[in-house]
Parts: sequence; structure tokens; C-alpha cells
Amino acid sequence: MSVMTQTGTAGAGAAAPVPVLKRPSPYPGWFFLPAAIIYGLLFLLPTVASLYFSLTRWTLFNSTFIGLDNFAQFLREPFLIKGLINTVIYAVVTSGLKVVLGLLLAVLLTSQIAARGYLRSVVFFPVLVSTVGVGITFTVLMHPTNGMINEGLAMLGIKGPGWLTNPSLALYSVALVDVWKGVGLATVIYIAGIVAIPKDYYEAARIDGATKLQNFFYVTLPLCRPATVTVIILSFIGGLRTFDLIWAMTRGGPGFASDTVASVIYKQYQAGFYGLSTAGNVVLFALIAVLVVPLTMLLNRREGHE
Amino acid sequence: MAGLELKSLHKSYGNVEVIKGVDLTVEHGEFVVFVGPSGCGKSTLLRMIAGLEDITGGELWIGEVLCNGVEPRDRGIAMVFQNYALYPHMTVYDNVGFGLKLAKTPKDVRDAKIREAARILQMEHLLERKPSQLSGGQRQRVAIGRAIVRKPEVFLFDEPLSNLDAALRVETRMEIAKLHHDLGATMIYVTHDQVEAMTLADKIVVLNGGVVQQVGAPIELYQRPANLFVAGFIGSPKMNFVSVTVEAVSAGRVAVAGKDMASIAIPARTDGLKPGDTVTLGIRPHDLSEESGGAIVGRVALVERLGNETIISMQLPSEASWLVVLDGDHNLSIGQNLALSFEPDRAVIFDADGTARHPDLD
Repeated sequence: MSVMTQTGTAGAGAAAPVPVLKRPSPYPGWFFLPAAIIYGLLFLLPTVASLYFSLTRWTLFNSTFIGLDNFAQFLREPFLIKGLINTVIYAVVTSGLKVVLGLLLAVLLTSQIAARGYLRSVVFFPVLVSTVGVGITFTVLMHPTNGMINEGLAMLGIKGPGWLTNPSLALYSVALVDVWKGVGLATVIYIAGIVAIPKDYYEAARIDGATKLQNFFYVTLPLCRPATVTVIILSFIGGLRTFDLIWAMTRGGPGFASDTVASVIYKQYQAGFYGLSTAGNVVLFALIAVLVVPLTMLLNRREGHE
Repeated sequence: MAGLELKSLHKSYGNVEVIKGVDLTVEHGEFVVFVGPSGCGKSTLLRMIAGLEDITGGELWIGEVLCNGVEPRDRGIAMVFQNYALYPHMTVYDNVGFGLKLAKTPKDVRDAKIREAARILQMEHLLERKPSQLSGGQRQRVAIGRAIVRKPEVFLFDEPLSNLDAALRVETRMEIAKLHHDLGATMIYVTHDQVEAMTLADKIVVLNGGVVQQVGAPIELYQRPANLFVAGFIGSPKMNFVSVTVEAVSAGRVAVAGKDMASIAIPARTDGLKPGDTVTLGIRPHDLSEESGGAIVGRVALVERLGNETIISMQLPSEASWLVVLDGDHNLSIGQNLALSFEPDRAVIFDADGTARHPDLD
């Protein structure tokens, strides 16, 4: 604002003000309407409405304004803090592993290996499968006694843990399944990033005597940074919002050991506390914004600095 | 520093042969330019020397070492790429010192070498910048700096000026020439621009279709082109050609005439020529002069006045089009008839297969 004012003053103080030619848009203004209506109805209206309803006690037919009571009650929930911590752990673990594994897989799948195209499809395939289906399948595979994973470990003489029944392990087990399912997308983003790196850089590095490892650290890793930023942001937001896989595999259990904010909210809905769970959604929205906005700014600022 | 020796070098991609047996000797300290049209194999040949392309057949010697299977870093070469290949995430300082860092050069030595290169290239003030903060010419200089710090036996340049604008290209060309003079290093330079080739080279290698057409000093290529391709490629505007018939053959001279020109005796190698043979006569635009009653008469089709000279496009009776360069003060207009003559010893006779018949090759 101040910049505009200053510019305006300077302009008025100088000779004749220079008329700014506004380039006419090639499209009429009402072209914007269909998208605006859809966006308004399906996004803006529910967002504003949920902000309001989070301040009420409501059913489908009526609502009573109760101020910030829902928030106070939600934040008093004994397992909410656990859920918040779990959510952040889950988001950090899944996005971290997706970045590392996605990048390594992408490096492998962009190198000269046999059946490269086929392997790319294999890596991407889990992305296409229903999350609930994946959750149920892995629940069976991770069964403490009859699951294929522990049976396989038993054949090697290792006693497998209770993947989903051990409270200190359940969240990480689900996170691993999330990584298995989601790493394909990270890999595809990385592959796009890596193939876009001009070959010249590798050739220059080769003449300079770079080893494969040095190529990776000095050329590939820094130059596929835009892909890294995309993968981190997408998988971090995905991790913070996670619900379906947790619900399909543990329902937040054992106890509240693998509850996340989203599963806590769902439980409130199930119990009929609509206002309370709406307040929970607002908290989740705020949590995502508080964590992701600074992260995005940090990552993009460094990127822009290049 | 070292020279190079290419012995019957071949390169094929599957069944497609792109370099068809190149033999070449590059002396220590020489500036050699590979020149030719797009797709002639000049960049491939350079990349084979760099070690970025495998050698299908033949031998590559750099100094006393057979380099066919040697890794690029061990060949004692440095290369400047067409797109500079500066790492965007590193400062100029780090870009220039990257190779030294990989070679685990001690930090103080590295620093001294980087600053020395920066001094030579007058870019000390740019060291802390990122490539995105540099102009095209500055990037080019950094790319050269990266090559200099390696103290290579041989510098390789792959069309380094093609991304610069015309004025900067001339300036950078002069800087490269000066650099060659100061460093005294062996340099191999690839370009499709024959002006760059003529101005920079000690020795030009003209390539076409993966075959060396001629190797020689710039002036030699200009005055004594080995064949039609070299004659047409070297020199600007390019040489004029006309199909003529041999009328008489005498000692050291061939009298030719054609639809476009009266009979004229040209000094040439005469063996195997007999009256009635069809040959091609080549004459450079600068070697033609206006003269009433000249051997060649045509109609002016286009006049380009450049101030110091006038370039005329001329239509000959056979519909062939010639370029003529006359003085700047010629006042010619389109449609006017123009009679031209030339010194017979400035013209070149080419066989039907394109080989030049220079007189003292007898």
C-alpha cells in the first residue's frame, strides 16, 4: 500500500501523470462466473459455514451459538494432544521416507537398467489402488501370528513384532504402508525432475572427474530441488490430513495409540458431536496452515535464491 | 601441454556411421577449428576427443597417451559447453573450483587457482554471484574459467559463442584469441560459423558428412579450396559457381566457355581434361570487377549497399544467380545490365566430382 501511495505522490509531483494503458483482457468478464460459482459453492461457502458452525452446537436441523466452547472442549480432549503429536510424527515420517525413497527409486528408474518402463509401472501401481483395500490387505499381512510378514520372519528364525497391536509400533506400521502406497507418486515427480536436468551438467561433471556418488550429491540432488519441494509439500499435507488408512488398519488403536487429528474428529462425528468435530476440523485446518505455509515459504525462498 | 593425433577415427550409432575415418594431427599449442554445416559430425568428433562419446574405431592420442579407453577426467582436457553448463546452485567461485574440489585439491591451492583464473578473465567481482545473476558473456567467461583452473593439456570448445548476440560474439571471439595467445595452450574449437573459424584458427578442419574435406590454414582454404564443398563453405559471400565446357587444353591452362561467359583461359591442372568436358568454374564475389566488354554479362536483380561495399545479386543468362561485391560507391539499379571480368588466376576449375584443379598441384 505504502509503495503505491509513494508512487502516486511521486507521479503527481513530477510532470504530467503518465496514463497507464490497461491491456484489455481477450475474454469477457463473465467467463469467470462458472468457475467462481463452483468454487464459491463447493469451497468458500462450506469453509465459511464450517467456521460458523464450529462456534455452535448443531444438528442437521438447528444450531445454537456457543462461542468458543467447542474449541475449549476439543482441546481438553485427553487423547487430542496424543492425536496432534501422532499426526505430526506421521506426516514427518511419511513425507521424509517418500522424499528419500522416491528420490532413490527415481535415480534407479532413470538410469540405464533393464525393464525400466515396466519397473516404473510397478512402482506407480500402488498409487492407483484403493486406500481402504490396501489397509485391509496389510492388516491381514501384519497379523501378529497368522500374517504373512511375521510368518516369513519366523521362517528366518525372527519373532516378528505385533505390527498393529503393539501401541508403540502401530502408528509407524501404518506410516510404512502409507509410504509403500504413496512412494510411487513421489517417484514419478522425481523422475520428471531428474529427466529435466540438462545432460550438459553431468558431462561437465564427468570431465571434472565426478564419481556417481558425487554426481548425485552435486548435480542431481540440488538440480531436482523443485521436485523435492513438491514432494515434501504434497506428502506433508497428505500426512497431516491422513485418515482413511489409519481408520482401515487400526481405527486409531490400540487404545488411542495411533489416533491422528482426523481420526479423533471422525470419532466425534460418530458420537454425534457435530459442533465439536467441526471445531476439530478448523483446528486441523489451522494446524496444516501453521506448519505448511512457513515450510512452503522457506523452501520456495531458497529455491528462488538460486 | 600436448598435441593430438587422430588416426582413422570412426564413430557409428548402430548402422549409422557419423564419423567416417578422420586422420588429423594437431600440434602442441595450435588453435584448430572444426567447421562444417549442422550434422557434419564436428561436435561428435570433439566429444570423442573429450571422452563423452565412445570411439567405434581408430586411435586417439593425446600427447603420448592412447586415450581410446581413458576416462575424460584423465585425458588432460577441459571443455567449454555451448550452454556453459554452469551449476545454477553454485556461486561463480564454486563453479570455477568444482573440478579442483572433486580432485581434492587443498583449499588454499584451490582458492589461489580460482582467483588466478578470475584475474585472467577479469571476473574477480563476479565470484560471489550465482549464474542466474550473470549476463551471457559473463557466463561464458565463467565457463572458460572453469576450464582454465584445470590447467588442461587441451581446451575443447563446443560452439561457445552461439548463444551470444552479434556484438558480444565478436568481443568474446577476440578474448578467446587473446587467451590462446596468453596461455599458449592447444585448443580445439567447434563452430558452424566460418567467420569464427577464419579469425581464430591456426588450422581449420572442414568437415562434411563425417568426412574431413580439407585441413589447412584459413588463407589456404580460402585461396586453394580442395573441392566444391570447401569452396562454397569458406568465404562470405560464398563463391559463385558456373557450369562451363572445356574448349581447349594447353600447357597449364584450360580454356573454358559456357552459356554465361565468353571463352577464357584459366590456369589449372590439365591432366585428363579434353575439349568438350563439362567442368565447374568458381570465382569469389570479391574477385569480380565491373568492366564493359567483360566475359560475363548479367542483369542486376538486387543491390545491397553496405557503405564500404555494394553486394549485387546478378541473374546470368542461364538463370544462375551470382553475387558480386563491388566498391561502396557503385550506383547500380535493379534491371540494369552489368558486364564483369576477373583475373583468370583467381578462378578455380572443379572436376565433375567436385575436386579442384589448382594449377601448381601438377
